[in-house]
Amino acid sequence: MFALLKRYRELILVAVLLLVPLGVFFAHAKAPTERSRLDRAVVWLATPVEKAIGWALTGVMNTWSGYVALRGAHDRAARLASEVRTLQLERQQLLAGRAEVERLRRLLALAEESPERRYLGARVIGVRLGTVGLQVLTVDRGSADGIARMMPVVVAEGVVGRVNAVSSSSADVLVLTDRNSSIAVRVDRTRARANVRGLGRPDGAKLDYALRAEDMIEGDLLVTSGTDGVFPRGLPVGKVTQLERTGHGLFQEARVVPAVDVTRLEEVLVITSWERSGDVMPAAMAPGSLK
Amino acid sequence: MKPLAHVIFALALASFQAALLRWVGGGAFSLALPAACVVYVALHGGNVDGSISAAGVGYVMDLMTGSPKGLMTFLAVALFLGVRGTSAAVDVRSRSGFAVLSGFGALFLSVGALLLGRYTAAPGSAPGATLIPRMLVEAVLTGALSPLVLAGLRRVDGLFHREEPGLLR
Repeated sequence: MFALLKRYRELILVAVLLLVPLGVFFAHAKAPTERSRLDRAVVWLATPVEKAIGWALTGVMNTWSGYVALRGAHDRAARLASEVRTLQLERQQLLAGRAEVERLRRLLALAEESPERRYLGARVIGVRLGTVGLQVLTVDRGSADGIARMMPVVVAEGVVGRVNAVSSSSADVLVLTDRNSSIAVRVDRTRARANVRGLGRPDGAKLDYALRAEDMIEGDLLVTSGTDGVFPRGLPVGKVTQLERTGHGLFQEARVVPAVDVTRLEEVLVITSWERSGDVMPAAMAPGSLK
Repeated sequence: MKPLAHVIFALALASFQAALLRWVGGGAFSLALPAACVVYVALHGGNVDGSISAAGVGYVMDLMTGSPKGLMTFLAVALFLGVRGTSAAVDVRSRSGFAVLSGFGALFLSVGALLLGRYTAAPGSAPGATLIPRMLVEAVLTGALSPLVLAGLRRVDGLFHREEPGLLR
């Protein structure tokens, strides 16, 4: 018997190792049991190993991602910074283009509002708004384009000024804030009359010849009256501010905040002709009459 | 002593595998590296110490995979016998042959666990055929990584190798 066992011991061992686990499996498969002490001991041994390996792997991964993988990051950052600069420049150009389109759209809308008038678009190519001399803008249209002296220059927000001097390819526009500029206006709310005269600086004008008796308050919108023979009626000129009524004198005094900020203009419309009720454009103002 | 070293190696390998899979893929795929240990002991071990090693590795897999007790132990010993039979017919020496056998071994363990699990589990919770693609991926990855296991186990076996003095090389 013993000799038989000895002879087939390997076979018996393998059979035991094969069948015992199978029996254990079928015994416990449907009713899982708790881990035995041996199981817990083995898992207890394995846990620190697993932790250590996890810690080492974490270290390796962190080293890799924090140092090794950053190789070439400087070049990549420089390339991306260059791309960012290019994109920023393109964005600026696009924004500028969009702003220009918006301005031109508003000018076009203004031109379409008054089909009886003829407009000529012009770009501002020079600005002279100093304290000495006239306050003028130079535009890129001249007599060759049909521009003449005294023609009104406007934008969508309101009056810019009038053409003061013309050459064949450019023209100087005397802005409404120049001391020599005087525009006949009405208060839009009450139709009271007055004149707006420039103060010689780009941000201000004053109200002239506004009778004391006229109904006028701060914030009133002033529009061209059309009585000066230069500007068509109804164009915004500015708003009344710092209104003062003294106890004596014929007139009340006020400052005017221009409707148009002349320092920010890029495109303008020159009104080359317009229909006036009962009036005709003065011969002196007709295109080509004065150079 | 050798079977104990193999079991300890398998335990470390299973721990490494668990930690590695957490980092690589986060569990999107799986590995069965201890299957390569069973293949190794079947190819290079004797009947007695090899079967004991295989049972020990299977026991470790039982513990680490959370499968019902005895399942992986039985399958590991069965795999040991299968590989032993294969090596009797085909001489497997190269690393690529070892990798192929390890891949098939991993597949054998997975499919065996699937079938036995289906046999014993409740119908609603039995593992299904949808696991087969995952098993195939596991087998391929295990086969691909098994040369590393082979190198590790050779080092472990080298600890038990004694040079006999006086022998010519």
